[in-house]
Amino acid sequence: MSSLPVFDYVNATSPAEAMGQLGAGWSEAALYAGGVDLLDLMKERLYEPKKLVNIKTAPSLKYIKVENGEVRIGPLVTLAEIAAHPELQKSHPALARAAGKAATPQIRNLATIGGNLCQRPRCWYFRSEDFPCMRKGGEKCFAKEGENRYHAIFTEGEPCVIVHPSAAGVALVAFGAQLKIASSSGERTVDIEKFFVRPKDNVRRENVLGPKDLITEIVIPASAAGMASAYIKIREKQSYDWPLADVAVVAKLSGANVEACRIVLGSAAPVPHRATEAEEFLKGKPLNEENAARAGELAVKDASPLEQNAYKVPLFKTVVRRTLLALKETKAS
Amino acid sequence: MTEKTVRVGFSGDSKELKINPPDTSPPAWDLDSKLAVVGTNVPRVDGPDKVTGRAKYTYDINLPGMLYGRILRSPHAAAIVKSVDTAAAMKMPGVKALVFAFDESKIGEKKLRYAGDEILAIAADSPERADDAVRAVKIEYDPQPFVVDLDDAMKADAPIVNDGKSNVRGKNPRGDAAAVDAKLAGSSKKIEATFRTQVQTHSALETHGLVVAPDGDGIKVWASTQGVFSVRDGLSSNLGLKAEQVRVISTFVGGGFGAKFGPGVEGVLCTKLARQANAPVKLMLTRKEEHLAVGNRPNSLQKVKLGADSTGKLTAISATTFGTGGVGGGAGCTIPAIYNLNRDATYKAESDVFTNAGSSAAMRAPGHPQGIFAMEQSMDMLAYELGLDPLEFRMLNDDNPVRRAQFNLGAKEIGWPNRPKVAGGGKADGPLKRGMGVAGTLWYAGGGKDAKADVEIGKGGEVTVYQGAQDIGTGFKTVLAILVAEELGLKPEDITVRAADSRFPYGPGSGGSTTTPTVAPAVHAAAYAAKRKLFEALATTWQVKPDDISAKDGKVFVASDPSKSLPFKKACAALTADKVTGSADREANYDGYRGNTAGCQFAEVEVDTETGVVRVLRVVAVQDAGRIINKLCSESQISGGVIQGLSYALFEDRIMDKSAGKMVNANFMEYKIAGPKDCPEIKSIVLDVANGRNSVGAMGLGEAPVIPTAAAIANAIYNAIGVRIFELPMTPDKIIAALARKEGAKTA
Amino acid sequence: MSDSSDDGARPKSGVSRRGFLKGVGLGSVAIPAAGLLGGSVVLAEEAPPKPSGPKVFTGEIPIKLRINGKDHDLKVEPRTTLLNALRDRLDLTGSKLVCDRGTCGACSVIMDGLLVTSCMVLAIDAQGKEITTIEGLASGDKLDPIQAAFIEFDALQCGFCTPGLIMATKSLLKTNPHPTREEMQDALSGNICRCGTYDHIFAAIEKVAGGARG
Repeated sequence: MSSLPVFDYVNATSPAEAMGQLGAGWSEAALYAGGVDLLDLMKERLYEPKKLVNIKTAPSLKYIKVENGEVRIGPLVTLAEIAAHPELQKSHPALARAAGKAATPQIRNLATIGGNLCQRPRCWYFRSEDFPCMRKGGEKCFAKEGENRYHAIFTEGEPCVIVHPSAAGVALVAFGAQLKIASSSGERTVDIEKFFVRPKDNVRRENVLGPKDLITEIVIPASAAGMASAYIKIREKQSYDWPLADVAVVAKLSGANVEACRIVLGSAAPVPHRATEAEEFLKGKPLNEENAARAGELAVKDASPLEQNAYKVPLFKTVVRRTLLALKETKAS
Repeated sequence: MTEKTVRVGFSGDSKELKINPPDTSPPAWDLDSKLAVVGTNVPRVDGPDKVTGRAKYTYDINLPGMLYGRILRSPHAAAIVKSVDTAAAMKMPGVKALVFAFDESKIGEKKLRYAGDEILAIAADSPERADDAVRAVKIEYDPQPFVVDLDDAMKADAPIVNDGKSNVRGKNPRGDAAAVDAKLAGSSKKIEATFRTQVQTHSALETHGLVVAPDGDGIKVWASTQGVFSVRDGLSSNLGLKAEQVRVISTFVGGGFGAKFGPGVEGVLCTKLARQANAPVKLMLTRKEEHLAVGNRPNSLQKVKLGADSTGKLTAISATTFGTGGVGGGAGCTIPAIYNLNRDATYKAESDVFTNAGSSAAMRAPGHPQGIFAMEQSMDMLAYELGLDPLEFRMLNDDNPVRRAQFNLGAKEIGWPNRPKVAGGGKADGPLKRGMGVAGTLWYAGGGKDAKADVEIGKGGEVTVYQGAQDIGTGFKTVLAILVAEELGLKPEDITVRAADSRFPYGPGSGGSTTTPTVAPAVHAAAYAAKRKLFEALATTWQVKPDDISAKDGKVFVASDPSKSLPFKKACAALTADKVTGSADREANYDGYRGNTAGCQFAEVEVDTETGVVRVLRVVAVQDAGRIINKLCSESQISGGVIQGLSYALFEDRIMDKSAGKMVNANFMEYKIAGPKDCPEIKSIVLDVANGRNSVGAMGLGEAPVIPTAAAIANAIYNAIGVRIFELPMTPDKIIAALARKEGAKTA
Repeated sequence: MSDSSDDGARPKSGVSRRGFLKGVGLGSVAIPAAGLLGGSVVLAEEAPPKPSGPKVFTGEIPIKLRINGKDHDLKVEPRTTLLNALRDRLDLTGSKLVCDRGTCGACSVIMDGLLVTSCMVLAIDAQGKEITTIEGLASGDKLDPIQAAFIEFDALQCGFCTPGLIMATKSLLKTNPHPTREEMQDALSGNICRCGTYDHIFAAIEKVAGGARG
């Protein structure tokens, strides 16, 4: 229907070969893995790279390794593979669940974790060529004064009010994951929280990757091993829908008490949103209804919702509380 | 004509009726008829083609040398086309033809009225190249003021969408407002409420489109349409061709729901491209175009007042409604008169409001789901006001014996007594609360007179039915096979069905649930006529009178003489010609049992009071459609209506950005259609009613089951949480806000 | 971090930024091929790929696809999707083009054992993979039991979503021969049926699975 634009196509057999094909600008070449997000953007003619560099032909990028509590995931691993991984299901249920609840069975079979983290926002203004919004180089954020029921509630100082679309990213932030990024100048490791970029820092990109960069590995540190984790997603429609609210919690429990935890809200802000005040509050406290509810309140204390999405504030209170209480049922083994 | 007596009605209410059918009509089937195939479960005849992927829909037609068409549409909600430069586009590789959607001499003054309005179309040798070419056309626009919001469009200073001084076009109100208000004022209980429903797009999975191939001095057309003959007539009149020069085929159609009548602008453009290029052209719309430009169910704003006396009898209703069908009309809400209210107790005023959006088109029971959403919630509100069981209140005000029986059937099936008696008072499972709701409905669809049919019996026993109308997924082709099989004593699989081709006998467009009721009597009569010809041939061989012969269970026989019995195939050898054809016109309807059909639905929902998420657990749908021809497909129509109604109730919404005048969710990701996980347990109950209006007595079924679902769900939500949702779709944001208002009111 | 300056709002050749951003005087159709997100047309003096580098496929290229156990040779551009290759080049039209964005499942095929939406797969990338389409389920006139059950329970109306839903069912039953109702709903949740046949589909699956598990 809406055809793809013309491009050249290259199969890369290694990360190095892939990087050799990338250009200094985004329009030169794009990495092609699952292609779910990329082809969608291209069909809408929002992005017309001259060349696609297929990295699925680079076998060194597809693996899940769990060793001494550390999890290393190659960027070409699909969401379906993460969701179905027996060890991750037990040790890191929030990640397995987030991956398994994303999109549809068909898309989970195609979409890679690397692509999922790099996908562009689902904001309907951004995704339509009809709206020259700020993220596409335009002058305004249409959502701010427009149709914003699914947009961010943490909007203070933000020129654009997207929510970050990656559910797996929400879980990975909760686990304190690190991303290894290769570029022509070598490899660097970036904390996943620093990977995501807020609109106020760069309204054109959602992460720190440059056009010649490639995620080569996702690492969940051994320090997260043995922690309890949970992920809950609320959506309008139960079949294939983007979340209205999703929350991942990773916690170190000591008996009934929370020793430490990370609470991350998805679909709430332009990046996966840490509820640090709620995390602080729970430290050393028993994990019960009352404290979970209080944490929920603290999690949305600084929200400044838009005209149509005030409902998300009470919703997130609920989802944070429920996710915390779900920890009891999903203790890591 | 000879007067005959038939028994009509259903098990709960029947009567004898004198009818005067034409002598050519077969004996009419009535309540006492024992039928072998009609009313049983018959798998659809085109099932094997559909499940194997062999079925060729219009979208699937590939012809040698075929080109692909693509339409260029307005990116603006309102704009003047200042200039068009097609030079670069025409030079693109593979481009073969370009035609304008309007008179080219009007460039400079042509006004585009909505984002999606057609400008021109290009044909190229691949779909990708057609897209490339359309993007290479350079157009200068002079944007004009626009309005896309219903309320904004009603304001005095709103930009004028079409012409005149206002965007509001009121129809003549029915009834006396002052008199009705006086009755309401004198009522012991009354309610007043404002309801809103959203714009819904038809979203048939196969988009609108055609393949047009030059064919001698005419054209051969494959169209994804609900009206084979309306496409033929539309194209022939548009192009100055004779009807015979246009052949339209629609063997398989990927859904319609009311938006696919006539050739459409795309049909005319496709034909012009094919004639310009002198090559076949396939032009199928994109999903986005489908949302923008080829129809929708208008939204509504309905102000309703309803009163009752102290005994629970309705006293009066007043309804003032507005709705926008974009640049078109058709936004009436048709608050249907399903309960007993006199004309002098009824006031209805409907207005269309124009906005800069794609025109509405009839959509599955036009006006009814909107009207019933308001009416049946108002009934519910009044019932609670009166302290009456909502079902009991309906029974007090409904004298239709069919619907009364249906209410009883449905209530039993869903377990109505188990619902919370106080709204919101049910036992809660944590934040999850359950409730039940009911809504009634009616539909018409006794069928019209415009249909013919041929039934052919070959010497080798082959039986073929020819009927030009299309099967848009209802199971119409199977209906044809069943009717012929019944009359000839055969099985449906013994019948070859040739349908959906304008070269076959005339059939109606599939609208208003009229295809089966209109065509069935003609097919029945044609089969009867063909059978009489066979019997006449056999009568000679057997030396009996044709009237002595019967056909049943695959045999043709003389009941009084066991020696005269042959399998159908062998009996056909008695034919002297290679084949005989029975042809028939559709007889006019006579007076029957009832002129309309009744239905009701019960829903059970579970509402998460903290997240606002509504899950529909069960729906019981009871529906009458006159004589049921195929129980299996009838139940499919009903459960399909329920699911589409649920989708309308909870998810679907065409969302327009007011500042840009464009739709933000013209796709299937954000335009949300109920999926498998949203599907409740559905119990479809068809109540067979012999209505005696013609020799078959079938009534339409396509539309009725979609009507009451949203209202039943809304009433169930109220029953579950004690808060009423007045606006569709009933999404979590609205539920959360409504619950918060209730909390606020409690603590205030 | 190598965030390039090419992330943003530089004007594109032939279009003033002003004209583009305001969308006045220019339709969306006039936005040039560089795209909205690609940033500017990069003039960086990058060295051309070394001759020893991987092969660059450009224009019409011959490919081989293995579909329903049979090899097909065809020519496509890199931009041709697997779905378009099936439908427009090979006349295998059972897989349907409906949403074109991987959101409705009507184009579902099984590729190397996995259910995927063929509108979101490039044909060139499907080479060397075992592809099963709806046309590959029946053997001759003998229907797959899923197909037979869909007919028996009238799990189809207009039929346009049916091939995709049958492929999704096939994929489900391969890994989970006795699914619960909820497992069916999850497995089919990437497919949309506009006519509303889901409940009949569940009944058909239960028949094939020999009764539901729970």
